[in-house]
Amino acid sequence: MIINFKGAKTYIGTGGKSLDVSKMTLCFLHGAGQNHLSFIQQARFFAYKGYSVVVPDMPAHGFSDGNPCKSIKENAEWINDLLVELNLKDVVVIGHSQGCLVALELNRILKSSLEALIFVAGSNEIPVNQFLLDLSKENPQKASEMMVTWGHGIDGDMSINKWPGHSHYGEGNNIMCMNKSTALRYDLHACNDYSDGIDAAKNIKVPALAVLAKNDQMTPLKSGLKFLELIKNCETHTLDCGHFLPSERPMELNSIINSFLSKLK
Amino acid sequence: MSENYKFDTLSLHAGHIPDKETGSRAVPIYQTTSYVFNSTEEAASLYNMEVGGHLYTRISNPTVAALEQRLAALEGGASALACSSGMAAMHLVVSAICSSGDHIVASSKMYGANINLLQHTMPRFGVNTDFVNPNDPEAIKRAIKPNTKLVFGEVIGNPGLDIMDVPEIAKICNSKNIPLVLDATFNTPYLMQPFKHGANIIVHSLTKWLGGHGIAIGGAIVNGGNFDWGDKDKFPTISGPHFALGGISFWEEFGPSALIAKIRAEGMYNFGPSLSPTNAFHLMQGIETLPLRMKKHIENTHSILDFLVNHEMVEWVKHPDLETHPDHEVAKRILPKGSGSIVAFGIKGGREAGKAFIESVQLASHLANVGDAKTLLIHPGSTTHSHLSSEAMKEGGLTDDMIRLSVGLEDINDITKDFERGFRAVKKLNK
Repeated sequence: MIINFKGAKTYIGTGGKSLDVSKMTLCFLHGAGQNHLSFIQQARFFAYKGYSVVVPDMPAHGFSDGNPCKSIKENAEWINDLLVELNLKDVVVIGHSQGCLVALELNRILKSSLEALIFVAGSNEIPVNQFLLDLSKENPQKASEMMVTWGHGIDGDMSINKWPGHSHYGEGNNIMCMNKSTALRYDLHACNDYSDGIDAAKNIKVPALAVLAKNDQMTPLKSGLKFLELIKNCETHTLDCGHFLPSERPMELNSIINSFLSKLK
Repeated sequence: MSENYKFDTLSLHAGHIPDKETGSRAVPIYQTTSYVFNSTEEAASLYNMEVGGHLYTRISNPTVAALEQRLAALEGGASALACSSGMAAMHLVVSAICSSGDHIVASSKMYGANINLLQHTMPRFGVNTDFVNPNDPEAIKRAIKPNTKLVFGEVIGNPGLDIMDVPEIAKICNSKNIPLVLDATFNTPYLMQPFKHGANIIVHSLTKWLGGHGIAIGGAIVNGGNFDWGDKDKFPTISGPHFALGGISFWEEFGPSALIAKIRAEGMYNFGPSLSPTNAFHLMQGIETLPLRMKKHIENTHSILDFLVNHEMVEWVKHPDLETHPDHEVAKRILPKGSGSIVAFGIKGGREAGKAFIESVQLASHLANVGDAKTLLIHPGSTTHSHLSSEAMKEGGLTDDMIRLSVGLEDINDITKDFERGFRAVKKLNK
């Protein structure tokens, strides 16, 4: 659905179902340079399982207009305001990559009722090398292509996809091209500059789930495991794939999330 | 580790990793119509397009999917769909994008079946086409109307071998927000990848060079993922609510792969032009050697061009790699590895000479196909177009002395020796 939010056209994927605020809401937060299409195989799946699903395109991403947020805190505030605007109450926040950092900050400020946090291919910090930061300004398309290549495991290289006929690389590059050209640069700087992750992780009081990727080159497994040591009682799973876990291992991820959610009910 | 494998490697490997259970190195042929669901919930997920997977071979199949993913990788596309023939692919694209009242701009110099579909069949369903010279970008621009939904052409035209200036035409389409759909059968992704030049959708007859051995009919659509379908007034069945799945918007839910998702949910589901898993396997065997074959096709083509251009019995030779071809400069720019292995030439002595040549060669096969590993010939004046007068053939861009040659991979000396046999027969006739 498209709404006018903070004066800008804002797109929110709902998984093909109308938003029902009386149900538990799953709020999916996309990663750097991504948009709602990161969660193609999660949005419809959970919407058809009876959850209310919101997958916002952050400002300047996907179908949303506006200017990109400049920091992780600004992203979290924007999401918080959106959840208030939509009158969503029982919310489970599911972040992928940068979305995990936003979820950490959101945990501190969320005025709606936060039921649980789910981290997918995440960490408490995402340092970005200077080469990629520079490239995202000089040639965002090239930077996107490099991220899509680094971000996938062997399934990307070999054009293996659970969705018949789809290519991780071809689809991934074009998803990133749908964003405004400045979006990736702001996202990468926001990730690189974020340094409150340790405190934010220690501050988590709600049930938490983490699904990490064994061959993750963007937020390495080692960094993810270190992050999880900061969270009390975090259920942890590791899947054999790359950073783009939601599209590389959709069924396994959905099954883990579904099982975790069933314990919350 | 991410490797970003190159074309030759992808030709062999893309779309398949040996499974842990059997270790089968070759892509298995999943000769099945359907797939056992583990639960009703799983079945519902597949029907609702919540997740990817297979539910019925008319819609998708694991062997066919390996072929599709190989093609998507070789073309650099977002997604691909394989079907029963190149013409099925063409019809699936047209019917997915256009509805009654819509308009198409197409090249006037194309394969007869492509022209027939657009000129005679689609108007019965309210979709009309204006045909324009593919070498005249301004004419294409002038032909575009407010209800034009796609521009269609062949990168290398069949049988005239006209070359479309793809980057120029893509710029025009892009400025008008109209997808450029190209039949890339004659070039294959080895010679040219149309998405790099701004095209949006590719159709292939896999029967030809991609399959390459004349043993299986098949077609494919490769979707660049680089077209914005978001205009709900212009593309209501892709970006607006569709009758399937409770009003799904393919553009919102699948973004770059919206077109393929729609074709699978509507075209494959309702029309059913599925590719058999066994044919998918045969076609993939061909693709494994595509780079090697295309190199040799081009090498032999250039040798045969030298032979024909200098032969006393040959009236004329047409191929875009010859400087005499009107589109030679465009060909050099967009097809630097070569412009394919189809050659048209005229034999001194007209229609009867062409007939005598065809009937005298013994290595080259006289048949109605192109892109086989073996050398193929046809003489339209005495076969496909024998019912037409010389004047009528000229109107269609053909001459009665014309031979269409699909250069194969045999030893070049054997091909030229075979042709000399044909020319000797023509000489006897002319005496």
